Amino acid sequence: MQLDFVNRELTIKLVYYGPALSGKTTNLQALHKVAEPGASGRLMTLETKDDRTLFFDLLPLTFRNQGSLAVRLKVFTVPGQVIHASTRRLVVQNADGIAFIADSRSNETQHNTESFMDLRENLKQHGLTLKQMPLIIQFNKRDMPDVRSDAEIAELASKGREPVYLAVATRGIGVVESMIGLLHLTWSALDAEHDLNKKFGFDSKAFLGQVAQKLGNPKPIPEILQACVGGALDVLRPEAG
Amino acid sequence: MIPPAAAKTFDELTLGHGVGLEDLIDRDALSEMVKSFYELLGVPLRIFSEDGKLLADAADQNPLYAYLNSAKAGRVALSDIAGKVKNLALGEDGLASYPCPTGESYVVAAIQYDGKRMGRMILGPFVSPSDAVPTRVLLTLDPALEASRLQELFLELPRAESEAVLKLVRHLQRTLDLLLFSGHRALLTSNMHLASVRESFRELEDKNDKLQTAFDRLKELDRLKSNFLATVSHELRTPLTSIIGYSEMLVEGLAGEMTAEQREFVQTIRDKGEQLLQLIKGLLDLSKLESGTMSLRKSQTDILTVLRDVAQTMSPTARKKEVEIIVDVERGLPLMWADSERLRQVFLNLTENAIKFTPPSGRVTLSARITAVDASNPEEAGGLVILSARRTAIEFRVADTGIGIPEAERSRVFDAFYQVDSSSTREAGGTGLGLSIVRRLIDGHDGTVRITDNTPKGAVFVVTIPVKRATIG
Repeated sequence: MQLDFVNRELTIKLVYYGPALSGKTTNLQALHKVAEPGASGRLMTLETKDDRTLFFDLLPLTFRNQGSLAVRLKVFTVPGQVIHASTRRLVVQNADGIAFIADSRSNETQHNTESFMDLRENLKQHGLTLKQMPLIIQFNKRDMPDVRSDAEIAELASKGREPVYLAVATRGIGVVESMIGLLHLTWSALDAEHDLNKKFGFDSKAFLGQVAQKLGNPKPIPEILQACVGGALDVLRPEAG
Repeated sequence: MIPPAAAKTFDELTLGHGVGLEDLIDRDALSEMVKSFYELLGVPLRIFSEDGKLLADAADQNPLYAYLNSAKAGRVALSDIAGKVKNLALGEDGLASYPCPTGESYVVAAIQYDGKRMGRMILGPFVSPSDAVPTRVLLTLDPALEASRLQELFLELPRAESEAVLKLVRHLQRTLDLLLFSGHRALLTSNMHLASVRESFRELEDKNDKLQTAFDRLKELDRLKSNFLATVSHELRTPLTSIIGYSEMLVEGLAGEMTAEQREFVQTIRDKGEQLLQLIKGLLDLSKLESGTMSLRKSQTDILTVLRDVAQTMSPTARKKEVEIIVDVERGLPLMWADSERLRQVFLNLTENAIKFTPPSGRVTLSARITAVDASNPEEAGGLVILSARRTAIEFRVADTGIGIPEAERSRVFDAFYQVDSSSTREAGGTGLGLSIVRRLIDGHDGTVRITDNTPKGAVFVVTIPVKRATIG
């Protein structure tokens, strides 16, 4: 998080992590597509080879609250391929929240696991733990054949602490919900640490509503948050402080 | 473009306010764009960074302003306009226009990128075609300025509709936004490349450190091993000398007469003791050679004497195996700078080895001839022109008609304790120490040893040793 007191601007860094070809870039493209032109900047894709991300993608989203604080979201993806370990470590540094994009297909389970371990290791290198990091998990590619069943994922999700979302990023399904969930968690953690709501007279619920609206989802926030199939969204993470 | 931004962190480049207009855009390219814009429209355009630095400027000296500059009141009016335009407050949309009291106008627009102000562009002065008449303020500015001249020059000012100018400004803003976006992307890409290289370098360095530590440890262990070997060999030799001595005394009957059988047994004890002593001496030599504590006592050495002596020493063994030894030394060989005792040891070892692996009625040939070697180290390619001075050397060949040595094994037979085929040890005996000592002794003489085939069968050990001591290196 970066706070610019002069311009009363808050910049939040969100990172989409996950194994190769799980749809991280597709998530960003979907967000970019639905976002109102005034809210979203250009989607920057750095260095691709055969449509694979080599460095990262960056989508800037800006929201001016009726309060006195402008919030800028910088949404990054990491390159999923195993060889780009050093780039992932660089990008994930100073992330305020992480969305882990998992591939729903059964035969990708091992890659999901490896990527998650890699995330844990990279956070460790920056002196962080998974526990401290606002994190949601998205099971993408729900429309593919041979995916892990809804029941199986719901069963696992109900045991874990991270909110879990189902998505088909290519069709934009579940993408905004995942983002709102991640932002909700991230804001809660940042607010718990920096007391932002009070300091800036910020209304985080209204802010979330505004974000959802500008991302083309006019439903009320509680309803959007309910899209999550498991895990805990209301946990304020005291460990973050 | 890279140097000023290279030191910036990833966060500064992507999140914060770390990048300025100058970081993202090439100044020459910007100047070119501004010039081309001016040529197209005739309205002067200047671009300033957020901190007020002029980055690009396309404007010829305007004749009206040049004329105004010639009078005091004109100069005051111009500097007033310049100050007002430069500090004009911009509206929400980042635009503002300034109609000067003297009749011409300016338009100022913010340059924005990613929601942040990066600088401003100033267009003007220009005159709207609808009011192309100089104001009273201009005409009565200074008595020193002629009204008719002012009128004439005023009409020469660039003309443009405010609407059209605003439209163009928006177009310029969009163009600049694109330029800034691609500049930002290029900057990030080059920084990511740098960062990745740096990160990989760091990882490699870590690995290097670990390897170096492991290597140092192994070297230390190797030294300890050599020390241990030296100590053990020395300690073993002392009691063994007694065993050999006492068994010799027994054989000589110093403790009374023995039966033939007893003598034979004691003789065996003595022989085996002697064998063991040779082995221990070998170990001791090897450890001394490895630890570098063996010093060679070099002097002028006659090769023929050494080889004849070797042949003579080995002849009983050869006779026993019905192997013929031939010494073939070229005439007129020079004396060579070598440790004659160690050289003898080298050829004793090689000859013994050759006999061992040669079947009955075979032949072992010891030969020596003069040759020349390059002074340069064959492992260091390059500098051939300088280093290729030839040095006189003696090439020794120990050729046998035995079982030969397979190509793949040739570089390994000189390793300590290595045997081509462990079954041959049982048949032919030996510890596998001899050749490793040989190689080290030859190294000590700046020489080389290699193995080639003998025709029709067998192996040849080719030893090449320079005649004189090296003067280089």
